[in-house]
Amino acid sequence: MRALHPDQSGYVDRDGVPIYFEVFGAGELTLLLVPPSPITHSRIWKALIPYLARQYRVVTLDGRGNGGSGRPTETAAHTRAQNERDIVAVLDATGTAAAVVIAHCHANWWAVDIAAEHPDRVLALVAIEPGVPYLGLPQPHWVEAARRWDEVIEDATGWELCTRHGIVNEHRKWVEFFFGAQLVEPHSTKQHEDAVSWALESTGEILAAGEEAADLDPPAREDFERRCRELGVPVLVVHGDRDVCQHIERGRAFAELTGGDLVVIEGAGHLTIAREPVRVNRAIRAFVDRLKGPDVKTQHWTRGLSRPKRVLYVSSPIGLGHARRDVAIVKELRKLEPDLQVDWLAQDPVTRVLKAEGETIHPASRWLASESAHIASEAAGHDLHCFQALRNMDEILVANFMIFQEVVEEGLYDLVISDEAWDIDHFWHENPELKRGSHVWMTDFVGYLPMPDGGEREAFLTSDYNAEMIEHVARFPRIRDRAVFVGNADDVIPESFGPGLPKIREWTEDHFGFSGYITGFTPPDPRDIEGMREELGFAPGEKVVVVTVGGSGVGRALLEKVIAAYPLAKAKLPELRMLVVAGPRIVPESLPSHDGLEVHGYIDRLYRHLSVCDLAVVQGGLTTTMELTAARRPFLYFPLRNHFEQNFHVRYRLDRYGAGRCLDFAGTGPDEIADAIVAGAGREVSYLPVETDGALRAAELVAELL
Amino acid sequence: MRAARPIVQGQVHQDGVTLGYELFGAGEPTILLLPTWTVIHSRFWKLQVPYLARHYRVITYDGPGNGLSDRPLAAAPYHHSAQVAYARAVLDATDTSRAVVVGLSMAANWALELAATHPDRVAGLVAICPSVALPAGRTARSDHFGPLDPLPELSPSAVPAGRRDPAAHWAKYNLEYWRKHHEDFLWFFFGQAFNEPHSTKPIEDAVGWGLETSGEVLVAHHGPGSYPDEATVRHWCEQVSAPALVMHGDIDQVSPLARGRLLAELVGAQLVVLEGSGHVPLARDPVRVNRALREFVDRLM
Repeated sequence: MRALHPDQSGYVDRDGVPIYFEVFGAGELTLLLVPPSPITHSRIWKALIPYLARQYRVVTLDGRGNGGSGRPTETAAHTRAQNERDIVAVLDATGTAAAVVIAHCHANWWAVDIAAEHPDRVLALVAIEPGVPYLGLPQPHWVEAARRWDEVIEDATGWELCTRHGIVNEHRKWVEFFFGAQLVEPHSTKQHEDAVSWALESTGEILAAGEEAADLDPPAREDFERRCRELGVPVLVVHGDRDVCQHIERGRAFAELTGGDLVVIEGAGHLTIAREPVRVNRAIRAFVDRLKGPDVKTQHWTRGLSRPKRVLYVSSPIGLGHARRDVAIVKELRKLEPDLQVDWLAQDPVTRVLKAEGETIHPASRWLASESAHIASEAAGHDLHCFQALRNMDEILVANFMIFQEVVEEGLYDLVISDEAWDIDHFWHENPELKRGSHVWMTDFVGYLPMPDGGEREAFLTSDYNAEMIEHVARFPRIRDRAVFVGNADDVIPESFGPGLPKIREWTEDHFGFSGYITGFTPPDPRDIEGMREELGFAPGEKVVVVTVGGSGVGRALLEKVIAAYPLAKAKLPELRMLVVAGPRIVPESLPSHDGLEVHGYIDRLYRHLSVCDLAVVQGGLTTTMELTAARRPFLYFPLRNHFEQNFHVRYRLDRYGAGRCLDFAGTGPDEIADAIVAGAGREVSYLPVETDGALRAAELVAELL
Repeated sequence: MRAARPIVQGQVHQDGVTLGYELFGAGEPTILLLPTWTVIHSRFWKLQVPYLARHYRVITYDGPGNGLSDRPLAAAPYHHSAQVAYARAVLDATDTSRAVVVGLSMAANWALELAATHPDRVAGLVAICPSVALPAGRTARSDHFGPLDPLPELSPSAVPAGRRDPAAHWAKYNLEYWRKHHEDFLWFFFGQAFNEPHSTKPIEDAVGWGLETSGEVLVAHHGPGSYPDEATVRHWCEQVSAPALVMHGDIDQVSPLARGRLLAELVGAQLVVLEGSGHVPLARDPVRVNRALREFVDRLM
């Protein structure tokens, strides 16, 4: 799912070639983002748009030959002049009198021409890894490629693919090589997949035409240099010093000629907008804010000793379990630190729990892009590939991190607690100078594990992600002042992070404190169970089965299958009563109904029903299954297909407790579910006990930092 | 030892008064740090000058009555228009066509008047805890204010002993009291000005600077025209076109935050509220003040 959708989109017709554009946000100042087409399109700006659009109006376009725009194939259709007329046409079509132009690579040549030929349309230029002629140093592989452009090289590899013949006939091979060469930074798998997939939306023929057209009618060197010198607008150049497409000396020379500022990103290659989005976002914002002049607004700063102790709590919105345990921790923290102020940066469904508890939700929360909606969009039936879903959430994580960072910079917080807030932990390690306050990282699983169906590729990807995390923690131990594992060391799966990497359990024991499990509520005393059942309206002798799928929309397939099992089970077990809880994202009336079957959208404090039921049927999420374990209730659980956490981490933990009966969703029909219900309802269990002081222990680990 | 030494120490002679100034650093633009009420002198900028001078050209000077300047006992040299004339004289003497003008407390009047009447000389205006005649509601100070009252009978200040004085001691803001008990007034006043806990050093500094002049000078400074009225201040505010910044502590006992807020509104200034800070954040929160000044000046460039 995209982190931000455009407020407006459309096409402008350019002599029969449609040029696609999008408009985001409503600031007074417009930023025009120009991708270098046709090798890519406007999605290359995905990590910048949500942030920039919060402050400014952002217009993007897809250059001819890719994305939503038309795909002419002849060379004459791809000249600089054609591309420049497209850009001006988009300014006209979007009613943009003038804009700050932000361009990547060779789109900067177009931007320079437009600034020179339409000076009233360009307020300033942000040139990212500028690809302009003559300046600085050329890259030798481009010089070589230009020389042999018309040659046919058999079995070409690497830069040899950069010939008309190679690009047309080996398009995929070329773009895979090209972006592989550009992404010099380790752990760039996602950026590589993205860049290749966008390139493949065009064709080799178009790309070759673009290459040929780019060099037609070049201006004389001195004319181009004069154009740069006389550009007459403020310029910011951002350039990775390991760029193998545009030499850093080119960026340096362009900045010098135009009198621009230069931000060199050391260790970075050609795609800083994808690989260093936080730094690039902040550089653009600082530059544009300076153009705009000062904002007249009131700032508050509090003297150190006058500050109340303040915590910013960021709780993962994926599932409801985090919210409940985090509220429990805060209740314990307040006992230890009575005057503690806690702000929550949170989104739905966490905010539902927080509102009910009267907690303070930071107003910036309203800007957060929805992680739970993204997860729902990645699920199909009883299937959620949660590792890939997390990877595909990259632009949402950047967007939300930028919001978080503004909140901590203004909020004078003593401490940030991030309960599986992946964006904070990841981007603070990537941009360690941005850390503010102490940081407690909290999670209930460690280590991405490949699903067997994913094959070698997924095994490589998960180990690459694990390796990056391990390197982060080793290089910047100061980013996690404390890491808390919600559980016990024995709950950690005895697997490896991947080839050549440590064992997960040993590494976790070395790097985490352990709070024990945090239930978020105290399971009832066995002596109170009868009374509670009566209070909840359970009749004597009734066998109550609760079916629930939590807060996401992922559970419909499971609900439908269990509902189909209901009449079969009822026939064998007449005292059966079934309560189905559809959750906030599934309309109860949309599910099949049977006599005697109760379907609820929402049940207040559902954990009470779960803790005294005769059997529960649930997915494989940790929170619900562990609450059932703590309450010593029999339950059937169905891990989501392709969900490594539910299939490996949670299952390992439940097996250790001897809790629950794991069933495979695809391989289990309504008949077998009915039998399992009949066999399981009211069964005595012999689970290992679950501690009830987890919230207190977590709070004590946190409070040492306050 | 001083953390930064002036490149130039000089004097200007204006209307028969000799004033000392100091020049630090060589960057752009020039920052003119105004003197304030003559109860202290230009050393009160000591925590700003070294930092600002690394980035900008910085000028400090003393007004009449303290520091490097004469100590006239007549009222005329302390008139607000005279104060503005000194500022211009120092700008001229240092060959400064234009500066960012920064004033603490009472000096906000002079900064406003200079910006209103000589806009070409003022690139930006900063008022820190401004003490100007804009309404700010009742305060302990206003409740007990009576500079022309007979000599009040009050116990000596508890500030030297590390304690606080009662609000009723604002009656010590009194011309007769200054003549008779100058040092005691200083302890009382700076105990109020530095009301943040643990302020012993700034209080001692300020009392020391205060003792470099006399109660008679404070009496002279209190003469007609030293403190412009509300209508005059509002008129200047309307005329100010330079970008402006107001900083104000929210526990300021000398001039309440409401006044800074109103001034910021009237001149369209950015407001930085310093929570937990008193009247002289320069001394007690130098890092925050320095950074706010730098940020403001850099945005002007």
